[in-house]
Amino acid sequence: MRDHHNAKGQPLGCHECSEGLQDYLDGTLDKQQSLRIFLHLRECPGCQAEHDRLHGLFEMLETMPDHPLPEGFDEAILASVPYDSYRQMEPIRRERVAVFLEEEFLPAWVRSPVTRLTGVGVAAVSVASIMFLDGAGLLFAVAAIGVAPQVVVSLQGMGRRLSLNQRRAEG
Amino acid sequence: MFDRHQDLKTIQRCKRGEEPAFAEILGRYKGAIYNLCYRMTRNGEDARDLAQEVFIKVFSLLDRFDESYAFSSWLFRIATNHCIDHLRRNRLRFLSLEGGVGKDGQEYELQFPGTEPGPDTVLQRKEAMERLEEVIADLPPHYRVIIMLRHDQQLSYDEIAEVLQMPLGTVKARIHRARNLLIQMLKSRSYDI
Repeated sequence: MRDHHNAKGQPLGCHECSEGLQDYLDGTLDKQQSLRIFLHLRECPGCQAEHDRLHGLFEMLETMPDHPLPEGFDEAILASVPYDSYRQMEPIRRERVAVFLEEEFLPAWVRSPVTRLTGVGVAAVSVASIMFLDGAGLLFAVAAIGVAPQVVVSLQGMGRRLSLNQRRAEG
Repeated sequence: MFDRHQDLKTIQRCKRGEEPAFAEILGRYKGAIYNLCYRMTRNGEDARDLAQEVFIKVFSLLDRFDESYAFSSWLFRIATNHCIDHLRRNRLRFLSLEGGVGKDGQEYELQFPGTEPGPDTVLQRKEAMERLEEVIADLPPHYRVIIMLRHDQQLSYDEIAEVLQMPLGTVKARIHRARNLLIQMLKSRSYDI
């Protein structure tokens, strides 16, 4: 057991070496840390022996022989695969992907449920207020602005559905 | 270790219902999954059943596979969860660290093969491997699985983190603890390491 000093003069004790051995063998240490352990191992037979034991264990773990597969292993699995279901789903999946990949031109804040609900709420209050307050033109304008996000999102959805139906009809 | 891009292409063929693509995936992973199940259970029949169930489950759920992740990670995640569930269901008991003898009641020495091949090297190595497998089988399942993923399947820390859905630091700490426990168990059974 001894301390090793690296190029920077920092001592590496046996305890620190022992703590870092797994990472050293895993290759997850940086160059400086690896070098410190490497130099310590060269000078310390005790830590070198610990390194060799751990290295031997790693080697054995990584070369454990494979257990042979039992006969008929594949058949039961391949017989259970729902091939037809995948084939039937394929056109639907392709449509979903096509719709998903369509360019989104509405900004996220317009599509947000919070914006749409708030807008509809404001519009409802404005329409109700027309009965009690003057300035119907202004209130109608506020109501129109309020429902606008919900209207454009609905129109976009309808457009996509129409486009999807058209693609289906074209086969 | 596994080719993520090649897997993705094969999975896309599977999703189109192409039969040979399923056989390809099975051929690529059956050995790894069967061995993982075998080392988790140490029982050939259980390993066969578990591995087959894993593939049947995976092949029926391919639509749920998120292609932004590696297929191998998804497959190993399902396999490890399935094995651990099986062990829990069967309430397998784990030998205590004080149990210092092998299953035949005799003490062994675990001899690592030297660099110089000798006449008994092959036999010694085989016996040492058997003892090592015996000790691995007695590790708690969450340590056993991480040792298998790291050393048997040779997955990187990042891949293991993806399989087990754990932070990288937790994976690293668990692997260290698993190895330390393995060494402790080997020593407690007088297997010379």
